[in-house]
Amino acid sequence: MQRIATTVRLNRSVLQFDDAAHARLEQYLAESASLLQSDPDPQEILADLEQAVADQCTRRMRPGQTVVTLAELEPALEEIGSVQAPGSATASPPREATPRVLQQFSEGAVISGVCLGLARHFQLDVTLLRVIAVLLLLGTGGAMVLVYLGLMLLMPYAPLQSGGTPVRWLPAKSRAFTEFLRAKLGVDRPGKIAA
Amino acid sequence: MAAESKLAPIRKGLLEFLVLKIVGAKSVYVPDILRQLAGTEFTTQEGTLYPLLSKLRREDLVQYEWKESDAGPPRKYYRLTDTGRAQLAALDEYWNLINRTIANFGH
Repeated sequence: MQRIATTVRLNRSVLQFDDAAHARLEQYLAESASLLQSDPDPQEILADLEQAVADQCTRRMRPGQTVVTLAELEPALEEIGSVQAPGSATASPPREATPRVLQQFSEGAVISGVCLGLARHFQLDVTLLRVIAVLLLLGTGGAMVLVYLGLMLLMPYAPLQSGGTPVRWLPAKSRAFTEFLRAKLGVDRPGKIAA
Repeated sequence: MAAESKLAPIRKGLLEFLVLKIVGAKSVYVPDILRQLAGTEFTTQEGTLYPLLSKLRREDLVQYEWKESDAGPPRKYYRLTDTGRAQLAALDEYWNLINRTIANFGH
């Protein structure tokens, strides 16, 4: 049986890898690159890591061995460990999924879910927003109603969660009303308001 | 262990301080740093150290130079810059202050 090896340049070293080890190496480097996405200087770190892999594998090869296999690569990668960005939390948990688009939420809404949507999008306290909205309503002599109606029309509704909080009467009516208005005005698919 | 979850961020925060200390003592390359930290509470890996050193270099706290090695390719030797030395001194002083403060409470 013929074993085909791939020659790989790792920073300043050149090594030969068998197919399995080569695939694992590519996987590790791709993973590292994606973990370093937010790093301002990923190239330097990747070059250092490549060199580390090369050094660790070389150290583990028997005299006369020319091709790196998983037997050397796995323990080498184990010792190097996966990339940890400095200052990140220990397990670097995936960032909390913030909804990218500004949406209204019918579940838990008081009127239509505009305040709730704003609060979730900008990570503010929803009660505070509602109080401000009421104060603005009183202070602007009702002009706030127009602003609210405008936002109601513009902000898309978040899809309802099956088994989520039940939608109360007013939010359900508001949603139906908004959808009716959108159909009337020909804005079925409101332009998504980007962050 | 409940305490562990509180200790991990402390270690993580102090690693940078420790790396500055090690690099400050003498010019070292990464396997030297790993060896010095091995077996302590701050045992770490290349995957953690390289991104950290890259950050410290961007902050102009450390710099490196290539040195030929007897076996294999040239190695990156790190040492502190003047800014790095100043920051290490400040950290050292602050660390001592914190230690004294902590020791003075709870009697």
